[in-house]
Amino acid sequence: MAASTSRPLEYLEGLPGTTFYKLYQQPSTALAIFRRMLPDLAKCFVMALLYLKDPLPTADLELWVQSESKKQRDNAISILARLHILSKTRTGDNVLAYMVTNPFASSLRQALVGSEDSQSFGVFSQIPGESQVSIADLDDYARQQWEGVMGYMVGTSAFSGQRELNLSKGVKQLLQAGHLVEIRDRRVDITKDGFGFVLQDVNTQVWHILILYVESAEAIGMDSVEVLSFLFLLSSLELGQSYEKKHLTSNQLRTLADLADFGIVYQDTPEATRFYPTRLATTLTSDSSALNNPITGSLTGPAGEAGGSGSGFIIVETNYRLYAYTSSPLQISLISLFTNLKYRFPNLVTGKITRQSVRRAIEIGITAEQIISYLHSHAHPQLRKHNAGHATSNTGGIPPSVLPPTVTDQIRLWQLERDRLRATAGFLFKDFTSLAEYQAPCQYAAEIGVLVWKSDKKRMFFVTRHEQVAAFLRSRNQQ
Amino acid sequence: MPRAVRGLLIECDPSIKSMILKYDEERHDYIVEDLDDENHLVIKESQLQNLKVRLDQDLDEKIMQLDESESE
Repeated sequence: MAASTSRPLEYLEGLPGTTFYKLYQQPSTALAIFRRMLPDLAKCFVMALLYLKDPLPTADLELWVQSESKKQRDNAISILARLHILSKTRTGDNVLAYMVTNPFASSLRQALVGSEDSQSFGVFSQIPGESQVSIADLDDYARQQWEGVMGYMVGTSAFSGQRELNLSKGVKQLLQAGHLVEIRDRRVDITKDGFGFVLQDVNTQVWHILILYVESAEAIGMDSVEVLSFLFLLSSLELGQSYEKKHLTSNQLRTLADLADFGIVYQDTPEATRFYPTRLATTLTSDSSALNNPITGSLTGPAGEAGGSGSGFIIVETNYRLYAYTSSPLQISLISLFTNLKYRFPNLVTGKITRQSVRRAIEIGITAEQIISYLHSHAHPQLRKHNAGHATSNTGGIPPSVLPPTVTDQIRLWQLERDRLRATAGFLFKDFTSLAEYQAPCQYAAEIGVLVWKSDKKRMFFVTRHEQVAAFLRSRNQQ
Repeated sequence: MPRAVRGLLIECDPSIKSMILKYDEERHDYIVEDLDDENHLVIKESQLQNLKVRLDQDLDEKIMQLDESESE
């Protein structure tokens, strides 16, 4: 969960307090943030404090957590404070106390117990006699659109001659604005960030795109709060249900049309009176999707097996040979980024991971960890089963690895081969006349956390920032 | 009087360090300060890219690679 929440969390933390105040007016936003962004302990705190009439003294709250888990407690409280959910006040007899801040508390209560006539969670569309779009169709649509976006980025149409999906101008501009692709001489070139992006799991990708969208929305004069709270609203909708459009504001309608291009929502025509959220939207803020990721499975698995038992399709052998049971041009071109592909069959490509192919990938900015995590998340069920069986015989406290350890280690080693040196920019302090003169600033540098290297013998030390240390030296000289 | 010098602190294997020292002997245009232990030295900030390219080239030439053929 941590990996996929960190980016939205970082973005939210950067927002000013007034934005939070406006965001938390919506029950759906409060619930989405509660469900998705908070660690479990923080959720406990919020639930315990939510229905208290008076602020709870800090000492009492600290008692709830055993002293050895102090770190988790501090982390939970710090996240709550950064998201402006928990605030410190003083009780009547002037004791420091915690309370859940107000628009958040009332909105979350409303979300939990329901309330009369709130449109915060969307309004079902109930037009008798009209047929609903099935969940399978929605998944198909989401897959087609999302793979289209990915395909546009890695240039699969050139790779396989497959028809190119008609991406709207907005989508292309957004990818460009987010520095995921660059356009040179009317050709689309993927950037380093873009490579990192396409190898991530779908949930993280969707969040990445949405945050880019919110950032760019501000630039074209849309209110980011309105867009954000609409995204949180989408995430709380139910898959397979259609919702009324007439309650949405004009900015939200505009957002809706843009999101349809990504496959996050579906509408029959842009003028339709209702829309459907797809799985990409409904799994945004749910916890369960982060782990087994049904969308990745249904999106990337072989088309015939969508929703089947296994989500992976890649087999890696200890001799570095790779077999990928897929016919998706997107997946094939992703794999070809770091593999020497050799044969292609209707439902299978095979190749070999070599030093050359990995170095080629690393040169264009893909890291070894990205390759490994891609292979890991798409590992064939057979590979998982096989290695899980092995693990019982040779356990040594090491968690069973799905991929052959020789291969993952070698990929990391190939990367290390390129990074023979580690460089840190900064300043070298030298020419100290006495040991005492050297020791004090060196110790000071260590205390403020800028010291990288020191040598007592040579009376030299290296720091990342010199301003404070120089000021320290000056003040000592004046004495 | 103590002084502060701007530079890049490089951390590397002794073998790499000796290669950098060798490059520097030619024109003394890399190193700001040799820190006299096995794996540290300070170089000019502007030379990092150049140094990396040169190291990669030389290492590729000098280190023998296992057979990379695609034999099945």
